[in-house]
Amino acid sequence: MVHRAADKFHKTEKKGYAFMNKRRQLNRRQFLAAAGAAVSVPYLIRPGVLAAAGRSGANERLTIGMIGVGGMGRGHLKNMIRFREAGEVNIAAVCDVDEQRLARAVEIAGRGVLPYCDYRYILERKDIDAVLIATPDHWHAVQCVHACEAGKHVFVEKPTSVTIEEGRAMVVAAKRYKRVVQVGSQARSAKPAHDACTYIRNGMIGRVRKVTCWHRCPPRGHDSGPDTPPPTHLDWDMWLGPMRWRPHNKAYYHGKFRQIMDSGGGMIRDRGAHVFSLIRWCLNADSQAPVTVEAKGTPPTRGIYDCPVEMEVVYTFRNPDWQVTWAQPGDRYTNYPDKNNDFGLVFRGDKDNLIVDRDGTRYEAAPKAKSFKVHSGGVEVYRADKYEDYNMNHKLDWFGAIKTGAKPCMDVEAGHGAATMCILGNLSYLLGRKLQWDAKTQRVIGDEHANRLLAKPQRHPYHL
Amino acid sequence: MPGNFTHGKKTNAAAEAATGTIGGAAAEDTAAKAEEAVTKLVSDIRSENEEVRTQAWLKAAHVGASAVGPLAELMAQPDIKVARAAKHGLWRLVRNVGCPGCGNEKNAVAAELIRLLGDNRRLPAVKREVLWMLSEIGGDESVRPIAAILSNPELREDARMALQRIPGKKSLVALEAALKNVPAGFRPNIAQSLRQRGAKVRGLPCVKLKPTKKTAVKPPTDGP
Repeated sequence: MVHRAADKFHKTEKKGYAFMNKRRQLNRRQFLAAAGAAVSVPYLIRPGVLAAAGRSGANERLTIGMIGVGGMGRGHLKNMIRFREAGEVNIAAVCDVDEQRLARAVEIAGRGVLPYCDYRYILERKDIDAVLIATPDHWHAVQCVHACEAGKHVFVEKPTSVTIEEGRAMVVAAKRYKRVVQVGSQARSAKPAHDACTYIRNGMIGRVRKVTCWHRCPPRGHDSGPDTPPPTHLDWDMWLGPMRWRPHNKAYYHGKFRQIMDSGGGMIRDRGAHVFSLIRWCLNADSQAPVTVEAKGTPPTRGIYDCPVEMEVVYTFRNPDWQVTWAQPGDRYTNYPDKNNDFGLVFRGDKDNLIVDRDGTRYEAAPKAKSFKVHSGGVEVYRADKYEDYNMNHKLDWFGAIKTGAKPCMDVEAGHGAATMCILGNLSYLLGRKLQWDAKTQRVIGDEHANRLLAKPQRHPYHL
Repeated sequence: MPGNFTHGKKTNAAAEAATGTIGGAAAEDTAAKAEEAVTKLVSDIRSENEEVRTQAWLKAAHVGASAVGPLAELMAQPDIKVARAAKHGLWRLVRNVGCPGCGNEKNAVAAELIRLLGDNRRLPAVKREVLWMLSEIGGDESVRPIAAILSNPELREDARMALQRIPGKKSLVALEAALKNVPAGFRPNIAQSLRQRGAKVRGLPCVKLKPTKKTAVKPPTDGP
């Protein structure tokens, strides 16, 4: 049994793709015609783009725009350059609200790539088929929904969203505009995680009733200093985007946004998004949601960060009954005690346990899962595996889904399911009370205050 | 886990005094205890000791409505450590009284927050936090005071978002009225809230997909 409708495509994926369908070719011609008259848009018709589109085989490439090119975005850009060298894509545009980062990205991306600080210029371009979004969390949903509305396929960093309302809007937009949205929980494309998934789905540890996660704690406090005017190279209004206005502070952004609840949501919304995705994949539970969520934690003692340092969240599921515990620091179980692993999880089955953990950027499954071979008639689990680098494979899976119309391995609905766990965990922590979740209505039962916090009004004009 | 903090429903003396659920000598005694609790809270939040300060704002959740004004006062302190601790404490208090079954305490805290909105001595930064707090626990009684802030250019966007979030017909009517009364440049913002609330707005097209920001970064002239 193979768990993917697009398996036939999977078997041929190493031969490459024919991306440009009739509609896209027309769009490109329309774009070129329009661009000739577009004198008010300075860089729209640069020769680099026209040359790229005219190269031999270029019409079979997917044309990509990159939104957010610092941090994770820089890694995605490097991946796309590899895909460009392999003849899979064109890179048409890069976008960042920090001009220093934008200048670096455009230099790396090279000729033919146009820079923007406003992603909406990218969405206006008819020649661009798809966008990669690697902005801070508070931008994910708005940019993803806008991209779908503009007819672009989307690869969006995890977590999918920061509120339940946003996540629902993303799911609706992907369906309504028939766009492929892949969420960047790339463990589903990593070999060790795939080994674990195959091992569990073949019943090797029996029925799993409990999963316990651990994660190192973030610092207890920091010295953020006073608010200051933003630097000239940063468009602070655009960085804030949908988030409520606040004065600039350098402790808010560029790798530091993670410890602010509004923009980053702490470790549970960062690594938790990875771990919950992995759990739901391994247990084939993408359609399940917790029925209760109860969190407790300790906040930082100084500075402006407001995400918990220590944290424990217990999620219970029904039909089938199982439980997940997210803990900072929790009990550290690892396959490789000599390594400085950041986080991990233990699947606790009624026959055996299985540890999956992560050392820096690599996932590791227990050796017994690595060496496991699926027996005849056993469960095969799909994974794109052309590249050693699972980040490349995760994007390859996205390309394949665009081509075939199949769901990508971490489609937006699955992403919303994982993000819901992160969001509810933080909500329970903030409110200091246990939540009862109704997955069907996507509401907290009997708690009007909690339900108000499932959505957050957004600043004009950066809204869903 | 060391130092777990949960702050769910907990009725205390201060809250009872604030909400008038007890009377006579007992009320006087309770009010005195409440005052004492607020005095200690203020003193501890002013502490130079980080641990004392942190413990103080964590416990602010249970001090009740009488702590709202003093915490808002501390939020305006020039010492950012004190100001931030007070802000954390006030948020803690608001989130605690929002729990199911805490209606009286919630109303008492919301009334204090509304009072802050109308106080001209309060800094915009403090009022901005208050608007967001009311967006979480405010009801119909909050609508008019928040709508009044739509005339304040510095705070009107936060007031608009707070009104959008407060459920009920009254907030919707306030937004509809604002569409006619606010300056033309702010009408698209109001229209955004009305659409979010499910209302139809004519004559103000949605501009969310319209790009506006240009970059000075130039495309490369060489490279791959």
